[in-house]
Amino acid sequence: MSSVLRVIPHLIGIHIRTHMEYRGALFIGWIAQAIGYAGIYASIALLLARFENLGGWTWPQMALLLAFHLLAYALGASLSFVQFRDMEEKVRLGTFDAILVKPIGPWTFLAFSGLNIEYGGHIALAIGLMVWSVSNLGIDWSPGLVLYFLAAIVSAAMLTAALMTMIGATALIWVRSRHLFSIFFGFWELARYPLNIFPLPLQIMMITFAPLGFLAFIPTAVALGKPVPILGDWAGPASLAIGPLFVLLAIVHWRYCLRNYQGAGG
Amino acid sequence: MKLSAYPAFTATAFTSRLAYRNQVWSGVFGELVATFAFIAVWTAAFVGRGTVDGVTLPDMVTYVLIAGPLLNWNTTRYIREVGDAIRTGDVTTFLLKPLHYPALLFFNQLGNNAFEQLTITLPVAIIVAFTVGLLPPASLAHGLLFVAYWVVSWGIMFLIATLTAMLAFWLLTAFALDWFLRGIMAVASGAIVPLWFMPAPLAAVLGYLPFAWVSYYPSAVYLGKLDLPAAGLHLAIGCVWLAALAGVLTWLWSRMRHRLIVQGG
Repeated sequence: MSSVLRVIPHLIGIHIRTHMEYRGALFIGWIAQAIGYAGIYASIALLLARFENLGGWTWPQMALLLAFHLLAYALGASLSFVQFRDMEEKVRLGTFDAILVKPIGPWTFLAFSGLNIEYGGHIALAIGLMVWSVSNLGIDWSPGLVLYFLAAIVSAAMLTAALMTMIGATALIWVRSRHLFSIFFGFWELARYPLNIFPLPLQIMMITFAPLGFLAFIPTAVALGKPVPILGDWAGPASLAIGPLFVLLAIVHWRYCLRNYQGAGG
Repeated sequence: MKLSAYPAFTATAFTSRLAYRNQVWSGVFGELVATFAFIAVWTAAFVGRGTVDGVTLPDMVTYVLIAGPLLNWNTTRYIREVGDAIRTGDVTTFLLKPLHYPALLFFNQLGNNAFEQLTITLPVAIIVAFTVGLLPPASLAHGLLFVAYWVVSWGIMFLIATLTAMLAFWLLTAFALDWFLRGIMAVASGAIVPLWFMPAPLAAVLGYLPFAWVSYYPSAVYLGKLDLPAAGLHLAIGCVWLAALAGVLTWLWSRMRHRLIVQGG
């Protein structure tokens, strides 16, 4: 275990040094991605400027929701998205077999050797938007609420990484799994709006089968003291438990897929 | 190469997409979820309001489908494919052939886009029409004008995406360019929020830029928000933008093919 922990910083260091060889492209990418998201957020801001609120959420509250959504996603996806999106290529070409014979767990190797620092633009925009919204909301930040908020971000990031791991791992038995990311991003898009604006069946789906309601809406609503549909007072504890719970599910799924992996290329 | 030979690229692009059926159903699902998300957003915005600035909720449901999946097609795949061809050097294989590369891209993308409209947008439109309801064109004349606007919209979107992708000849990456374009299109095309709901000074500026002809003007004409003389005038302005962008692409292409740096092997 300790040898694995010693290897992880080296894996990350090698990847960062590779990216820094093309630092111009990296910085332009950060700025471009931040502008890409800022365009969508500006549209939502324009909508709220005309209609005042969306399902009872004002623009500063929506800004906090969007910032939480982007930050939790970026933290989780930096450990998982590109790495597991490319799993089907690794399976199809047989390069995943080379990872299996390395003296380190394949998930650890994939996640950390590909730790994606291209999410810097996402994180900078999310933190900037979060600081602005918090300064405009007048939330009573007790130590308990601060701890809850930070833990909820970690839990939501764990949820993101767990879901992406499960989708990527599916390629080990199906060979193809990239199309499942389209479904993930469909629900991910919904998750940037207040859950209460959607029909009840979709709300239920967003906290069970596709639990991306926990990615931003539920923790933000808890922090703002807003009612959470269906979960009510359980929303706070549930938003903290969902990340670790899905990590356990992802571990089980990953191990099942590894056991049943037979290769597809070579 | 004769122009009559190029439609073969359209047919090839269309049929080659048939091989990836998983992409179709996941694409339909993703588009359906995104469309219903925007319908839910507008439904929430219109709660307690019958009409806002002369616009009703059924207007906005129809606007969501036309301005979004129908007109503002996803250019990411296209831009990144062209960018990759430039970065890896694959573009040289096309330069060796007796064809015009931008024309090849045009006919190829026409096939890809026709496939997506038929297999993704059409099923989504049918589901939305039966579940939520879609409005017909404001009049027959508006409907006919909309068809002309659709052609202009597609042409402008293709030219903007191609110009963006071609900048990879200088920057050697299309990744960042794609994200820049996404940010601009989100606001300036009116695909998410129509210009009639924006502050007047901003709407006035965006109303003159070519991005507005991709989503906003065609949708506004379909819904009858522009009277026929204004719709005709704006169609003419759209054609001027189309010609100007085509001119810029022609000029840029004549310069770019002389500065190709091949990095791949």
